[in-house]
Amino acid sequence: MSLNLESAGPLTMALPKGRLFEQVQEYFAEKGFHFKFEKRRLVAHDESGLLKIFLVKNADLPTYVNHGIAGMGISGEDVLYETGLRFFQLMRFDFGSTEMCLAAREGYGMPNTIRTVSVATKFPRFARDYFYSQGVPIQIIKLNGSVELAPILGLAPYIVDLVETGNTLRANNLEVVDTLKKINVHLIANPSYYKLNYRRINRFVEDLQPEAQNTSMDSTIEESSEAGRGQLNKN
Amino acid sequence: MTDSRKRYLQVPQGTEGVHLEEAYRHRRITQELNQLFTQWGYLPVETPVFDFYDIYEPLLRSSARDVYRLIDREGDLLMLRSDITLFLAKQMGLWLREEDLPTRVCYADTILRHQSAEDISKNEFFQTGAELIGKAGSEADLEVLLLLESIFMKLGVASSIHLGSHQFLTLSLKEFDETELKEAVQAIRNREQQKLYSMIEAHASARRADVITALFSFIGNREEFRREIMRYEGILHNEEMESLQYLAELVEQMEELGYARDVRIDLSEIGTQPYYTGIVFQVYQAGLDDAVASGGRYDKLLSRFGFDCPSVGFSMMLRKIEDQVADKFGLPEDIVKVEGETFAEAFRTAQQIRRTGGIAIQ
Repeated sequence: MSLNLESAGPLTMALPKGRLFEQVQEYFAEKGFHFKFEKRRLVAHDESGLLKIFLVKNADLPTYVNHGIAGMGISGEDVLYETGLRFFQLMRFDFGSTEMCLAAREGYGMPNTIRTVSVATKFPRFARDYFYSQGVPIQIIKLNGSVELAPILGLAPYIVDLVETGNTLRANNLEVVDTLKKINVHLIANPSYYKLNYRRINRFVEDLQPEAQNTSMDSTIEESSEAGRGQLNKN
Repeated sequence: MTDSRKRYLQVPQGTEGVHLEEAYRHRRITQELNQLFTQWGYLPVETPVFDFYDIYEPLLRSSARDVYRLIDREGDLLMLRSDITLFLAKQMGLWLREEDLPTRVCYADTILRHQSAEDISKNEFFQTGAELIGKAGSEADLEVLLLLESIFMKLGVASSIHLGSHQFLTLSLKEFDETELKEAVQAIRNREQQKLYSMIEAHASARRADVITALFSFIGNREEFRREIMRYEGILHNEEMESLQYLAELVEQMEELGYARDVRIDLSEIGTQPYYTGIVFQVYQAGLDDAVASGGRYDKLLSRFGFDCPSVGFSMMLRKIEDQVADKFGLPEDIVKVEGETFAEAFRTAQQIRRTGGIAIQ
């Protein structure tokens, strides 16, 4: 006797409001998954019926996936890292990547590692772990936005923040002192949800792959190690 | 009432109070499982509520930060019971003698762990489980898997057992040093295939790195698994192949006995705890955010506590699934409210009903 625990309904997925949303929508459309949200609605289905999509605040997305309310989600590593929660990372997207940087007023230079460095940031966990791993004592000031103000107003000489173009920094006479980490956007899944729906999710992930790497899991290993790596690059 | 008083009337995160219907249901399910354990010859053990922290510290890995610690009056560091398996292993290590083996034990008790605000739905308050101590080999592994499956059959909930091998992990990554192994374990558990591939390729050929990475990502039924590993003959070492064949054979035996409703071989199951040595497994259920049960073989754990013998077992977070079986273990419907001229009369009638197994309130 075999039971099929895979839920028969659509796969559930949380998408972040804001910057990433349109890029995700466009990428999905290219891959044949079309969806749009009616005005003020936060739940939508894609046209094929495979996906049920929830629109949530960026920082809340990992919480929804962690609780299995949304089985999958699309999120940047910055947000994922701050939660400290465990997710399967099923695929890395080639859009939406940014850099986590240490910035200060122009000409201020690298921090003196002997003295405790004051850093203002929206990403206290990342900042703490990064500086601890470098052996640099750090004092973190948690902010929720407009982090660029901190060095200007004298709250802290340094900030740790995401930098895309650097325009905001320049406009505030700040500059990147060091690039700490490249931040990519990932398709994540709740581990338990994945384990119960792995067949459908694997097929979906395969459909989402960029063209050049769209080889099936089963054929790759047998064909050649090169193909195998091509498949692995998907993640 | 002052504000601080109101605050203290709340229950802090990481613990809970259960009452009335919910508590009744919880007790009934526990009783059902105890009965099943007894029928299989597993006898109950009670573990201490707290113990010395230092002896468990090397075994806690990432869960160390979720443990509640306290300092006793002599200045020793203690920990509250956060995982019964560990406390049990120490007790068994201290108590057991060679002639007692094999021993079958079961437990059902509360545990205390810190739970963050994001994690509060985990329901990790009550742990029940069984351990078969002092028996190595496939019959012991099979017995524990069959017992696990019997529990879910008895509870009447659909569940999926994912079976993996910690032994395969140790064999296939034996060139890895401790730090590398730790990183590889994380990559396997989080399905970070590219990272895992690069790590293996640093020690082995690209072809072997491909194969090992593909295996650690594999999930499928027994036939699919057999087909998969057949393709890797000649690339996998004999011992590795044997450890994989062993999994397929176990599942085959479960199938023959009619106890493999939904068993999948899943090599990304490498054990949630660092002390596993052989088979490892987790049980998943639709609608739950995390595995409901986990276990495996741990042949070296008891030796840490002074008694060297092989063991296999599992534990489950019972509270996670109690809502799903609410109908089956709900309050009894036929509670008779006995009326009488006097209390004594009502009492006597109620007693008659009770004697025949009924429920009565006088």
